[in-house]
Parts: sequence; C-alpha cells; structure tokens
Amino acid sequence: MFIGKFNFSWPIRTRSGRPQHGLPIIRNAMDQATSASPAMTFSVLSSTAPVLAPRVGKLAIPGRKTIATPHHVPLTSRGTVPHVAHDVMRDHTEINSLYAGLEDYHESPMKKFICVAEDMPLILGPRRFPPIPCPPANTSASIALLTSIGFTQLSAHDYVKAVQNLRPDIAVGMVDLANKQPGSKRRGKMVDRTHAWTRDALEQLYGDAVAEKDKSKSAYFAPVLPLDNAQQSLYLDDLESEFRWDISGLALYQSASLGFVPESLANLPRLLFSEPETPQAILRDISLGADLLTTPLLGASSDGGIAMGFVFPAPAPVPEGKSERLPLGIDLWTGDHTTDTSPLGEGCECYTCKNYHRAYIHHLLLAKEMTAWALLQVHNFHVMDTFFAGVRESIQRGSFEQDIQTFSRVYASSMPESSGEGPRLRGYQLPANGPNQPRRMPKVYGVLDDAIQKYAEAQSEIATPDTGASGLEEHGFAEKL
Amino acid sequence: MLCHRLLVRRLAKTSYPTLSLSIATMSTTTASTRKPMPSALTFDRHAKCSTTKARASTLHLPHGSVPLPIFMPVATQASLKGLTYDQLRETGCMLCLNNTYHLGLKPGQAVLDAVGGAHKLQGWDRNLLTDSGGFQMVSLLKLATVTEEGVRFLSPHDGSPMLLTPEHSISLQNSIGSDIIMQLDDVIATTSPDHARIKEAMDRSVRWLDRCIEEHKYPERQNLFCIIQGGLDLELRKQCCEEMVARDTPGVAIGGLSGGEAKEEFCKVVHTCTEILPEHKPRYVMGVGYPEDIVVAVALGADMFDCVWPTRTARFGDAIVSSGTLKLSHKSFSDDFRPVEEGCTCICCRPTDQGGLGLTRAYMHHITAKETVGAHLLTIHNVHYMLNMMGKIRQAIIDDQYPAFLRKFFSDIYEGDKSKFPEWAVGALRGVGVDLLADS
Repeated sequence: MFIGKFNFSWPIRTRSGRPQHGLPIIRNAMDQATSASPAMTFSVLSSTAPVLAPRVGKLAIPGRKTIATPHHVPLTSRGTVPHVAHDVMRDHTEINSLYAGLEDYHESPMKKFICVAEDMPLILGPRRFPPIPCPPANTSASIALLTSIGFTQLSAHDYVKAVQNLRPDIAVGMVDLANKQPGSKRRGKMVDRTHAWTRDALEQLYGDAVAEKDKSKSAYFAPVLPLDNAQQSLYLDDLESEFRWDISGLALYQSASLGFVPESLANLPRLLFSEPETPQAILRDISLGADLLTTPLLGASSDGGIAMGFVFPAPAPVPEGKSERLPLGIDLWTGDHTTDTSPLGEGCECYTCKNYHRAYIHHLLLAKEMTAWALLQVHNFHVMDTFFAGVRESIQRGSFEQDIQTFSRVYASSMPESSGEGPRLRGYQLPANGPNQPRRMPKVYGVLDDAIQKYAEAQSEIATPDTGASGLEEHGFAEKL
Repeated sequence: MLCHRLLVRRLAKTSYPTLSLSIATMSTTTASTRKPMPSALTFDRHAKCSTTKARASTLHLPHGSVPLPIFMPVATQASLKGLTYDQLRETGCMLCLNNTYHLGLKPGQAVLDAVGGAHKLQGWDRNLLTDSGGFQMVSLLKLATVTEEGVRFLSPHDGSPMLLTPEHSISLQNSIGSDIIMQLDDVIATTSPDHARIKEAMDRSVRWLDRCIEEHKYPERQNLFCIIQGGLDLELRKQCCEEMVARDTPGVAIGGLSGGEAKEEFCKVVHTCTEILPEHKPRYVMGVGYPEDIVVAVALGADMFDCVWPTRTARFGDAIVSSGTLKLSHKSFSDDFRPVEEGCTCICCRPTDQGGLGLTRAYMHHITAKETVGAHLLTIHNVHYMLNMMGKIRQAIIDDQYPAFLRKFFSDIYEGDKSKFPEWAVGALRGVGVDLLADS
C-alpha cells in the first residue's frame, strides 16, 4: 500500500554535490525524500504538519526490507532478539529491522557476525537499549560501557571505526547521556561533547578528506540530547546547517525532544529511544511525530509471562456506565490457565496461538522451560506489529486522534502485573552495584544451613514440586501414608 | 539428619498388612492366568548385519513410524529446552521422551486428564515415550526407600512420607497418553556391592511388571515395555530376561545401566540380554547417549537409546561433531567463521542459500551460555547430529557395511590413531566379529 506517487528517491547526493551555503534549498511540496546517505531514503506519505504531528512514512534502504513507519524497532541482546532463535524469527515473525548496541560486541569482532538475513535492516548504536547505567563516568572522548566481561570505555574514534567496519544500514551517533538528572555544568558538557563527536564522526565517515570509494554507506542518525531546546541551540543550529547534508535521521532520547525538531529537519526520520510502559504512551509518542520507536515493554512482557492483547483501533467502546476496561494483556502465571486450551489471544493469527495454548505456556512458565519465553515473544511481536499496522492505517484515514481517545477509554491504563519470575539474567543485563542501584539479591541473614540448602536447591536441576503432600496426592502422583 | 532419623523410626513402626498378601497373590500368577498383552505397535525388521548383531528396522507406533536404530531426545517437562515442536520436527525426530516424574509434579494428573494428555498439552503430533518415574525417585530423592508396595519417599515440599506404586506410575502414564510407557522398576546402582539386594531388585521388578500389566488401562494404544534388571550379574540378567519375555510385552528395555559402571561391564550386559531377547521385539537401552556407546550397543543388537547429554551439553556450549565435541565457549572460536560442522545439514550449519541460517562458530561463541537463543540453536544442531548419525548407522546396516562404518567412526574421533581407541569398544566389538585394530 505504500507505493505510488510519493515514492521516489532524492537523487544520489554526495558531499561535493550539496547545495552551497546561502543558496536556497530547492524543494517542493512532494519533495519529502531528503536522506543524505546515498543509500537510504525516507518518504513521508501522510502528515498534517511538519512537526508535532503523527505521520506515516517509508524508510527504504536498497537491498533491505522496507520499513513502514511509524514502526517499533526490535531490540537485540548480543545480536539475538531474546529467546527468538534465528529460524523462528525468519519463519514465524514479521520482524523487519533490528537494533544492536556495539557494547554487545566489544570483546569480539562483529563482521557478518550476527547471521541474520541479508535483507534485514540493521541499526547500530554504541549501547544496548535500554542501557544499564555505568558507574564509570563518560569522558570528553569516550563513553562508559557495560560489556559481558566488565566495564570499559568506548572512544568516539573507535565507534566511528566500528561503523566503517561493520557497515550497519543505520548508525546512531554517539551521545553523552547522564545517568541521573544533570546539573548545569554537566548539561553544558553533554552538549559540547555530543556536538564535537557528531562533527568528527561526519567528517570521518563522509568528509572531503575521505576518498569517494571509502565514504561510508551507512546512514547517520544524529542524536538530539534530552535537554531543553535553548541548552543545545548551538548544536541544533549546526545540525540544520553545517551537518544537514550528512545526516539521514535524528535519534531522540525523550518524547519531549519531538517538540524541538526544527522545521528544516522535519523530513528526517525520527528514531525515539524511550521506554514506554503502555501502548497509550507509544500512541502519544507517535502523535508527537515519532517514526521509529523502541518498545522494551514487548520483551519485558514476554519475560514476565504476559501475553499482550490489544489492538488498534480498539474494538467497539465499552458502553457508558460500564467501568470494566479491557486488560492490555494476560498474566499466564496465574492458576486460571492450568487447563485452558484456548489461544493466548482470541482469533490471534500468530504462530504461537495457532499451535499452542494457554495451559501449555502456563505449564512451561511453572516448569521454568525456555520455550515459554520463545513462544511468548512470537506472540507479543505479532501483537505489536499488528498494533503498528493499525496505527499507520488510522493516520492515513485521518482518524488517529479519535482512535487514540477510544483506545484509552476501552483499555486499562497499565499492563497487568506479572506474578512470576522471568528468565535468569546475565551480568550484562543487570544493573551494577553502587549507590542508587537496587540490590541484585535480597540480604541473607540467619541460619547458614538454611541459606546453603536454598542455594543448593536453586543450583540443582532437580525439579521440586511446589505443592505439599496433599497436593501431590491430588495430582495422583503418589498417596499419603 | 533429624528428619531422616524420625522417618526411619516412623517407617519401622508402620506395618504393612497388604504386603504379604500381595506377594502371595503375585507368586501364584502363572502364564495361564496372566492378562493377555495386546500390542499397539508393529515392528518391521529390514536387515541384519552379517557380521555383528546390528539390526535395521521400522517401529510403527500410534503417532507415526520410527526408523530404528534411533536416538530419542529428552523433553523432560514437555518441552525440548527452548525449541518449538516445529524446530524439533525439522531435526527429523519422530519419537521423544517425557519424564513421568516431572509431568506428575507439573502440571499433574488432573490437568493432563482435563487437557487430554501430553500430546495435546505440548502440541506434539509424533510419538512420545515416558519413563516410569522410578529412576528419578531414587536418583533425585535421597530419602527414597523401596519396599514391596512401591517407592517410599518424603515429599520434597513438606517432608511428609509418600508412596509411589507401580499402579500410580501406570495410571499417570495412562493419563499422559504416551505411545510407549515403561514399567516401574526397582532401580539400584549397578555398582552396588550387595548381591542380595540386586537379586531382590530383579525379582521385585518382575513382580512389579505383573502389577503394571494388571493396571494398564489402554494396551491397545499404549505399549508397555518391561525393564530388564539384574545389575552386572549376567546370570541374574538371563533369569530376568526369561521371566520378562514370558510376559510378552510389546517391547523390552535393558535398565539399570549407564550408572557409572565400567564400559566393559555395560557391553557384557547388553550382549548377554540381546542373546536371549526375541528378535521380533524392539530393544531399548535406557540412559545411553554418547555416540561411541551407541554405535557399540547397536553392534550388540540394541535398537533404541535416550540420553539428556546431547541437549544438556548444548546448553553448556558444546557442539557434537564427527570428531568429538567442540567447546564453543572457548576463546579460540571467537573469530572462527566456519559453520559448527562443515557439511552438516542442520538448519544452523546449512548455508543461507540452501535455506539454512549459515551460523558461524564465532557467533555461537558470542551467545553461548549468555543468550537463551544460543542454547536453542545448539540444541537443534546436537539433536540433528544424533539423529543424522542414527540414520547413517541404519543405512550402513541396510547396505551391510556396518563393520566399515564402525572403523571409520572411531578413526574420525581418534584421528586415525588406533592406539587411542578405547579398549572397551575394541573388546566388545571383537566379541561380535569386528576387529577395529585390523588394517582395513
């Protein structure tokens, strides 16, 4: 459906061919495709205003799957979408882009490394998303990383080198973010560093000194800091002028930044790194003009045993006077699923729902079997993909605002709480120890034997029943004497 | 400890009025009064090796046909370690295991009955085999004691004494609905020095088999296999074979092995049993899964094997290949961009232009033991490797080339160095007419 008159590419541009400063940039109403990378094009197909309005677009990279926007960006951990094996991703999901943090490859070269399909658009950033805050501070030349073998620093120079070697389709520029609310001095540093890193990266990737054949084919998304407009005005000015023709998109780190996008940069795709906790929050970001969004709530739901269950536009609104809202998902840990052989979502077309049922996923969660998370991921990706497809149609129809209102009337305002435990987390997935960090494990005092016993049980592969003798007898497993 | 002592005292005080009665009844059971034993399988023998005792056959079960000899992966709790059942199908698996002990605890018999059995629970339309739960009781629960009635144990949750009888086990397996079910047997370590206890376990396993046959509700759709016991005592094994063969179960398992005994002893037991067991029934050697053990046991006339090793070792990052195993977590693989095994046809190793994923050792090194996907992918490779190996074994038997297969197999693992060939394998194979050390 995203074909037609708006779908054309801006002629291949090189730095040498860019318009001279001072000359008006030639544009017309249909000229929306203005990607700076020779490879990538972004076309806005439907929009009511250049900024602060929802829009439908198309991000096309030659030889890769096209991404219809708004769209969520599947997040990877060490190059895998957690719990989703490569063949499951290929055969049973519609995943059409991936975000990877260089952080995950610090100890090994990436190359053709993560073995995903050739036509999978790959977005590379310096850090995983969501990043685990690092106690070591960023410096003026580097940022702190948490790799699987410990903390380290990634210099801006090495990051650019990695972009050149790894050739992602989209490279997200390095940004200096603070772990907590920055003071005024820190804010100044954030802007200065990010400004300098962006300038240097663009120079090394696309600069005049780089031979034509060595110029990077990766599209560069320049970061916009999660600060006020005024605090980073010098940097934003440069993005609009000096850097304009080398950047292909913007990377934003808070929803509020969507309000500072200068109109002259309006036709660049906007990748929003945020952690919306509900689909309602996703809708708000889209209505403010986000094109690509990270949705860590998807993976978090799977890990928590939650099968998401919402569609957009929402089904018929709840009749007046009835206050019961539809849940945004179901918690499969709860006992009401033990013998329920219905699919996770009624009428859901995903692989999981067509082949398995609630009772099985419930059993797998209780048995701590990995298959539970794999199957939940497949389902939740399907729900999220369908949700975004509905969003795009709604924007094109022009009914997005009303649809959002109906959605918030029909659905509960938060995801259901998970009542079980997620998969075991690895070091690089856990917050480091330090002030302001939650404890990894509760303090253990008391009888040491008891602790040793619990530890042995936790380490053991032996299944221990979580029911007493009467429970076992009820199960027909054995009888009480 | 306190708990243990209390239990012993409590057990000592308890009397079992039914005990003597049940033994009396059983001892009077004769062939004429025995319940007829229908079979829900057909066993087609295709070829027999002209040198060794290896057989190639097909086992037709209610959920499809299984080429024998076969390795059966273990989906302990109704899931094969992270795989979807389509991924398991893709490896070619026709028959996998579930554990009665685990399914009895979770989700439990009531749920299995409500859902309609384990096939429906896990969405698996091929064959299932379940063990009796006895092995887990004894190996996992330290305080389990075996009496004539069944296995007494303390509830791991609240410590109260419980009893698992042959009747419980069969009833659970009837609810699970597996295509092959196993009798509850009295399992003791083969290395036990107590000869009287070994004999008692053997005799008791025979008596329990009768109780299992009696309790079995669906012999027309579930095949009950007996389990030969008798430790490492070949005379006891022979007696047990004769007693159990007389009960005419659809298939026969050789149990109590793979418990730390010397490989020579293991081979002798298999060899002795297969001499006596009828040719027209499938023979299952329980708990055996190292490739070397399997190829030798096949030569000794065994047909079916199961082991958690290939799937467990995958989760630790070890890939099974024709030269042995690759420890992919080792740093030397971090820039090795070859597939896990060149020429392997599993979906992980096959190149992308042949519909595979084209995964490299370097990438497996990167995610192994860190991401669950690493476990999924290596599990696929290892299960595929085992099934593919069984396929090659079968073809070699059909072509009557099994001795040559054996020589190449050991040569590949030990890089042609015959001095490194394990003595037990050389000895066992010599017993069936194959000299591994002879010049080929």
